[in-house]
Amino acid sequence: MFNAKVKSEVLKGIIDVVSPLVNEVKFNITPKGISLRAVDPAHVAMVDLEIKSDAFDEYKATNMELGIDMDKFASIIRLSTSNDMVNLEYDEDTNRLIIKIGNLVRKMGLIDTTGMPDPKMPNLNLPAKVVLKASELTQGVRASETVSDHLALTVNKDDFELFAEGDTDTVNLKLPKDLLLELDTNSKCKSLFSIDYFSNMIKPVRGDDPITIMIGNDNPIRVEFNIAENKGHVTYLLAPRIESE
Amino acid sequence: MGVKIGELFKEEKISFEDLRDRVVVIDAYNVLHQFLASIRQRDGTPLKNSKGEITSHISGLFQRTANLVEARIRPVYSFDGIPHPLKAKTLEERHKRKEQAEKEYLKALEEGDLKTARLKAQQTSRLTDKMVQQSKDLLDALGIPWIQAPMEGEAQASYMVKKGDAYAVGSQDYDCLLIGAPILVRNLTSQDKRKLPGKEAYSNVYPKQIMLKTNLKNLGITHKQLVDMAILIGTDFNDGILGIGPKKSLQLIKKNGNVENVLAAIDAKNPPTYDEIKEIRKIFLEPKITDEYTLQWSGIDNEKVLKILCDQHHFKKERVEPTLTKFANINHLIKQKTLF
Repeated sequence: MFNAKVKSEVLKGIIDVVSPLVNEVKFNITPKGISLRAVDPAHVAMVDLEIKSDAFDEYKATNMELGIDMDKFASIIRLSTSNDMVNLEYDEDTNRLIIKIGNLVRKMGLIDTTGMPDPKMPNLNLPAKVVLKASELTQGVRASETVSDHLALTVNKDDFELFAEGDTDTVNLKLPKDLLLELDTNSKCKSLFSIDYFSNMIKPVRGDDPITIMIGNDNPIRVEFNIAENKGHVTYLLAPRIESE
Repeated sequence: MGVKIGELFKEEKISFEDLRDRVVVIDAYNVLHQFLASIRQRDGTPLKNSKGEITSHISGLFQRTANLVEARIRPVYSFDGIPHPLKAKTLEERHKRKEQAEKEYLKALEEGDLKTARLKAQQTSRLTDKMVQQSKDLLDALGIPWIQAPMEGEAQASYMVKKGDAYAVGSQDYDCLLIGAPILVRNLTSQDKRKLPGKEAYSNVYPKQIMLKTNLKNLGITHKQLVDMAILIGTDFNDGILGIGPKKSLQLIKKNGNVENVLAAIDAKNPPTYDEIKEIRKIFLEPKITDEYTLQWSGIDNEKVLKILCDQHHFKKERVEPTLTKFANINHLIKQKTLF
């Protein structure tokens, strides 16, 4: 059983987090909330999402799985404004999700979840940790988008640096320790990442909300932040690019 | 060859776009056999270089891989190791059939019957150790990873999909479903025309995807029962029961539960012994596989590829070069690491 009432913006947040990486997903529903873990088709990035039941205005559920086509889901949720209330109800008899926005009713066919994988979170050794305001990071990534398809992130003992280099142009963003909410590393750590992927990962974070980044040397990056007024938590992993000769 | 069980499965038409960025493990022996059988002239003569050596496998492997990489699919090839002793009989029979086909091919050529000649020629193709080595060398030069399976290449491929290292097995055989591959992709060619075997007609061929779990659910059987069904029909490792095809087999297994019960219930000629049944089940359910592999696309060595194709196999450079440009997309695969 699954029956919930929630503000549209919470669902929009979920769509922003999941859609850039995967289209067909399996939500795990429990009485305590909903969660999801998925890997993109290229195995380059992973998303782990948890939304507590109290992020919903009303929430009643037993343990079950919902297989959702995110494109379809987004197309209907997009028709609502952020403060609209959305009703979600699982109809067991027809295996559909009934979505109600005001007087609008969409009955959405669900995807068969048998055979959909439950990816394991890989064990990673990421010695450097930085917490910063999302807006600072977003600015650097936006600037890099026009210059290259990848960027370098470096955590030094006293600062955090973002660097992108194209054929003719470069972008550099250097944030000293006192501008960061937290910085913790014993040694310099540097890894390269695809801007496409990375930009999508930080997009869902609002303005000055904190974003946590953990990196190593030529290792994946771990990005964490809260959504749904801190009642939801997102963890992303992104595999690095390697330096070209 | 594999088990003739395909008619029971529901296939889903897909496109290369659906496979973009995904890893597909290809049963190398399966595709190489395909190339050797199909890449031939009208009278059935395979492609040969000026030294008279067959090059159908090289041409096919090069073109096929180029098309996959161009579509940003990540191919990996899995090669057969030592065959299982129970397969020896099948291999021996195939060998005999090939010798027979060879005679008929030569006779048809003599009589000027090109249609029969081509048909018979297709049945004569042999994949030699030398051809396998040439194929591996070409893949190395192309920067495409390949895996040496301890026994069956498709068992290794199936294991890698089950483990999550790859999205699907690429093969024409359905055997990988018996081994438990969650997804099989057949016709790994971008939509093209294919000659219907033995006919002067062509049909459009699309990649097709077969999901194991969904099909088991539809058929109402377990994975183990699918293997038992195959034992009744006949596999590469046993002859099967005369008169039992896919539909009958499904019906019998659903009614009786397993092979032993079916054999007790019907009057079968030359049924497999219990020990044989146990051994064949083991081949499919607990195949010999290895974890010793890395999937790294290392980038094309143009010079080396040209050396292999043009110097060794006498391909014309101007015909090779357009295909070579399709590998430009591989840079994308090299620089971006994966999570696992």
